[in-house]
Amino acid sequence: MGKQSRSKEEGGNMTKKKTTNTPHKQLPPPESDSDSDSASEYHDEDEEFSEDDGSEDFESLRHSETEDSASSGDEEGIVDEGMPSDHSSDEEEESETSQQQQLDEGVEESDSSDDEVHDRNTVGYVVPLKWYENEKHIGYDIKGRKIKKKEKDDKLQSFLARTDDSKTLRISDEYNDEEVELTKGETKFIRRLLKGKAPHPDFDPYAPSVDFFKWDGAKHPLSNAPEPKRRFIPSNWDKKMVVRIVRAIRKGLYHFEEPKKEPPVRPLWVDESSSTEKSRHLANIPAPKLKLPGHEESYNPSLEYIPTQEEIDAYQSMYEEDRPKYIPKRFPSMRSIPAYENAVKELFERCLDLLMCPRKWNNRIDIKPESLKPKLPSKKDLKPYPMTCYLEYRGHTDAVMSVSVDASGQWIASGSRDGTVRIWEVETGRCLRVWEVDEAVKCVAWNPVRELPVLAVSVEQDILILNTGFGNEEEQERAKELLLVKAPISLDDSGNTASIVSWLHDDKHGGIRLRHFKTVSSIEWHRKGDYLSAVMPAGESRAILIHQVSKKQSQRIPFKLHGLPVSSVFHPTRSIFFISTKKNVRVYDLVKQKLIKKLETGLREVSSIAVHPAGDNVIVGSREGKLCWFDMDLSSQPYRTLKCHPKDITSLAFHRSYPIFASGSDDCTAYVFHGMVYSDLNQNPLIVPLQILRGHRSSNGRGVLDCKFHPRQPWLFTAGADSVIKLYCH
Amino acid sequence: MKHYRPPGKKKEGNAAKYITRSQAVKLLQVSLPLFRKLCILKGIHPREPKKKVKGNHHTYYHLKDIAFIQHDPLLEKFREQRAYEKKIKKAKAKKNQERANRLELRRPDYKLDRLVLERYPKFVDALRDLDDCLTMVHLFAALPVSDRKKVEAERVHNCRRLSHEWQAYISRTHRLRKVFVSVKGIYYQAEIQGQKITWLTPHALQQVLPDDVDYTVMLTFLEFNETLLAFVNCHLYHTINVTYPPILDPRLEAFAEELYALSRWFAATSSTSMVDSEASGLSGSEQVKSEQETSLNESELRLAQLQHQLPSNEPGALMHLVEDLSGEDEEDEDTRECKKLFRTMKFYLSREVPRESLLFVIPAFGGMVSWEGDDAPFGEGDENITHQIVDRPTQAHRILSREYVQPQWIYDCINARIILPTEGYLVGRVPPPHLSPFVDNDAEGYVPEYAETIKRLQAAARNEVLPLPGIGKDDLEDPQNLLAEGVIDRAEAKEAAERKQMMMTLEKQYHDELKKELHGVQYSSSVSNMQSSFGEEMEEGKEEALPDMQQIAEDTENLSKIVMPRKKRGLYEAMQIGKERKRAHVALLEERKKKIKESQKSNGN
Repeated sequence: MGKQSRSKEEGGNMTKKKTTNTPHKQLPPPESDSDSDSASEYHDEDEEFSEDDGSEDFESLRHSETEDSASSGDEEGIVDEGMPSDHSSDEEEESETSQQQQLDEGVEESDSSDDEVHDRNTVGYVVPLKWYENEKHIGYDIKGRKIKKKEKDDKLQSFLARTDDSKTLRISDEYNDEEVELTKGETKFIRRLLKGKAPHPDFDPYAPSVDFFKWDGAKHPLSNAPEPKRRFIPSNWDKKMVVRIVRAIRKGLYHFEEPKKEPPVRPLWVDESSSTEKSRHLANIPAPKLKLPGHEESYNPSLEYIPTQEEIDAYQSMYEEDRPKYIPKRFPSMRSIPAYENAVKELFERCLDLLMCPRKWNNRIDIKPESLKPKLPSKKDLKPYPMTCYLEYRGHTDAVMSVSVDASGQWIASGSRDGTVRIWEVETGRCLRVWEVDEAVKCVAWNPVRELPVLAVSVEQDILILNTGFGNEEEQERAKELLLVKAPISLDDSGNTASIVSWLHDDKHGGIRLRHFKTVSSIEWHRKGDYLSAVMPAGESRAILIHQVSKKQSQRIPFKLHGLPVSSVFHPTRSIFFISTKKNVRVYDLVKQKLIKKLETGLREVSSIAVHPAGDNVIVGSREGKLCWFDMDLSSQPYRTLKCHPKDITSLAFHRSYPIFASGSDDCTAYVFHGMVYSDLNQNPLIVPLQILRGHRSSNGRGVLDCKFHPRQPWLFTAGADSVIKLYCH
Repeated sequence: MKHYRPPGKKKEGNAAKYITRSQAVKLLQVSLPLFRKLCILKGIHPREPKKKVKGNHHTYYHLKDIAFIQHDPLLEKFREQRAYEKKIKKAKAKKNQERANRLELRRPDYKLDRLVLERYPKFVDALRDLDDCLTMVHLFAALPVSDRKKVEAERVHNCRRLSHEWQAYISRTHRLRKVFVSVKGIYYQAEIQGQKITWLTPHALQQVLPDDVDYTVMLTFLEFNETLLAFVNCHLYHTINVTYPPILDPRLEAFAEELYALSRWFAATSSTSMVDSEASGLSGSEQVKSEQETSLNESELRLAQLQHQLPSNEPGALMHLVEDLSGEDEEDEDTRECKKLFRTMKFYLSREVPRESLLFVIPAFGGMVSWEGDDAPFGEGDENITHQIVDRPTQAHRILSREYVQPQWIYDCINARIILPTEGYLVGRVPPPHLSPFVDNDAEGYVPEYAETIKRLQAAARNEVLPLPGIGKDDLEDPQNLLAEGVIDRAEAKEAAERKQMMMTLEKQYHDELKKELHGVQYSSSVSNMQSSFGEEMEEGKEEALPDMQQIAEDTENLSKIVMPRKKRGLYEAMQIGKERKRAHVALLEERKKKIKESQKSNGN
């Protein structure tokens, strides 16, 4: 059955072959005159075609050529195999025929001759036609018969004929003595040629050139180098290598790599007892663990942990270090929690911390802050001391600069900036006497001798020594005698015309007026009431003077001053003189006239000084609110520095008999301390802060300007910038 | 003052003990990256010398530390590697690809187990330092693989495996104590050998690898941490008599349910484990149940599992039982409590809940759990399910016998160690705030509202559970009464406050009147200066006496501060600042709370 079908196919193919093979032979059509009938057939077909698509391109021609050879090969293959079915072969046939049609067209166009029997005449083109001009024939046909010339039409006829079929172009063929009708395609050809274009419309004269070989980076298009020997001879080196490998394999030297296997994890820490011995290495400091998350890091924190929008906006204005790193957010359910974007970054930061942060053992103090406070003796045991405000002395109209208590403790004197000096009765608060001195009073000081009720007042450049008028007649007598200046005496500096100080009689108040060359800031009586020291900060080398009232004499101190003097104090029992400059306190022996000690306060600016009644301890107050206690026997450094006031300390005072001292400050408070000095030299003084006394009001940034203790009672007088003097009692 | 060292004299003190980093690098003759790597692997850190000889802006290493690195074989190994690297490079440059490939295979390798033992001579030391290790491994288990950043797939898988092994151990031995869901991830705290180990796992979402991170440093840390965790896991597995690299069911592994696979592995090997018999029996019954449910084609797998279990039915198993009982004594009270928390409950997880976390957490507290998917122990239709964990706005189909709760309920129950009422956590409701279990509320000074309610519930639960005979009736009163008492207390406090307020207003009134009087006196009378001042003084004295109490208290405080030495005073003040900050924070919270309440009230009205 298979065989039959095959034969059938073959038959089919054969028939086809008849039709298909012919054109191949015909390819160069002008040469082949045989098979004329078949050719004419094709010609007929051709005419049908050429009417509608009269012009096929050259490309198709070339294409068909190549196709041709391929198809012929195909056909043979098909014939041999006989595999394709009839239908397919039919199709092929169709395609084949169409190709042929194309082919034929191409052929015809290329040849531009209308029929196969061209050239009736056989004389050939070599013979010039004019040889036949006079003959009746124009040549001979293929059988040797004469071809007779046609009757020549007259011109009219020819014109008519031309007008009859004007559509077609006719030309005369002289060689064959015929009229040839040109086809449409041919006329197009001619027209294009006349225009100077390529005859075929589809021909592209500027087509990109395609090389028929591949360059592949070759310098020259083709190489004619001979094939090298190594291409066809087995490599010697390879052979050697193979031999070597083979030998190595035989010897067992060559073994193939196996993929590495991870050794199984074996249990470490098997016997812990062996590792108990301490390693020789330094102890590793373990890194601190990360802080555990608080409520605010929850995905669903309580509402109060979520900052409001204003707070979040406020974060922007903060410094970057202060800004909270994490802003709590709230998610309604677990499925809505997004991935944390900083997860990798935070882990990296932790890694860097572990790697780069220096570690150190830090002793963590786990103590309550209260335990840091020193245990103070109970205040009740330290009584009496001034506690509450008992009295106020009102009358001044401006800040009270200074107060001073009478030695008897009955009266106090006060000097104010309003230019008055007043004397008050302590117990009642009555103002007994007023002196108008017209200028601001800096300092007032009662004479410490009870029998001599005299008051020294510093007013700008003057010191007034006034008779207060207290005491019995005898005392008054003495005072008057003392204060009598018969003629002005002046202390002249050698070679200087301007006198440093001059003793004058004050007519207005009936006392002595000591006129200085500079403003006097503070005055201090000697305990015996005869000497009076005055400090003029601007006086340079003559800044401190000591006046002797009984002799109406003044003298400079014989020491060089280092720095600006602030105040000076006499030792309560011995002839020792303290001069405090801005930085240090110098202690001089007045008898031997030499420096005993220099107390280094370490303060920025000393403002006041007070000496303990025993004379071995000194307290120094400063403008920065610090208070230094010096134990003169101990060292020149402060025994204790107390930082109590936020503002300047203006004055300090020791009580004469009770172990208390006080400091007044510009922050409107006065502190009362217990300052016990023991007679046992081995025991350090005990300092206990007792009370903060408030009540003064601030005016012009100043608060308490002066404070003084009552000579017998534990009472404290404070002079305030609010023009009030207060008495604090126990 | 410049110190002069005579030429023959050696350096002394800090100058001799500490060297800067660049000096160390020079001494070791390594590059800086390699130095870093060595430091990471050896666990060497800079130290803070008492005196910084070279200046403040240097990092100082102890000379002994550097010598420690210098004498480590690892350094030689790294040098060898570097030389080897050159060989490969050379082979490549000579186009000897074959040699290069061969060399690649034989690259010198190093092991870190010696270092682990050296750094942590005892197991407890390793546990103490495990926090960072666990956090890192868990994070890397969730990272995407990236060639450019050298995060290799192999390492990510290894991290995943290690983290699951760790979790399986914790879950199996009921060591988990606290869980906290934060924005950054989920914090877990476990307690092993008395060490509290806290770690953070990221949420199971795609992580982004940022560019501004040095991955080489991180990967070196990871290298050590992986090794450490592997050895720790190994040790822990050996303590409960389970062979270490657990052989997992490949099918479950394929479903990315390693944790469950691991728990299976435990169950299978429980015959030899020290875990008590009851638990194993429980899991066994679970398995049997699941067996019934699942179809035949899966039974092969189960059979294999059961075969592992078979020895427990053999006579030898009795011996093990005894062992188990003795083992139980070792468990502390905490563990026993944890084990019982969800004992009677059966959970089913919906698709949308964080399954990995819950699968880890619920069995750790003795619950049974299943999920939606193939190979789950039981399906959604199981009638014994008591709770279904759901995290969606609504639940359409409901089964009456079970409660549909949000996952937060589980975490809150764990932290409170009691079964909380589920009302607040039901589907579709906004759950109550999730509080951090790591905060000591009393120390912080602020107790959130929900913490108080939990505390009350805990107290109530304790009373119910422990009706001790010796205690009188008062203590046994039910929580309602307790609550009522609380309310009464509060009411009393309120009353007292009101009374105080009244007093204050009266006082103020009195003061005002006084003042008015004073002014009147001043206006009306033109008495002498003295008298008026006296009168004023008197009045003022009275006025001042009243606010004095506060002033006095303040003064006494200030006075004792004055006498303090400067150093102590500074310390004291610093403490006060810290306290003040804390107080301010609490005040801020309270203020916010007040505002929120007000706004809620106004909204309600």
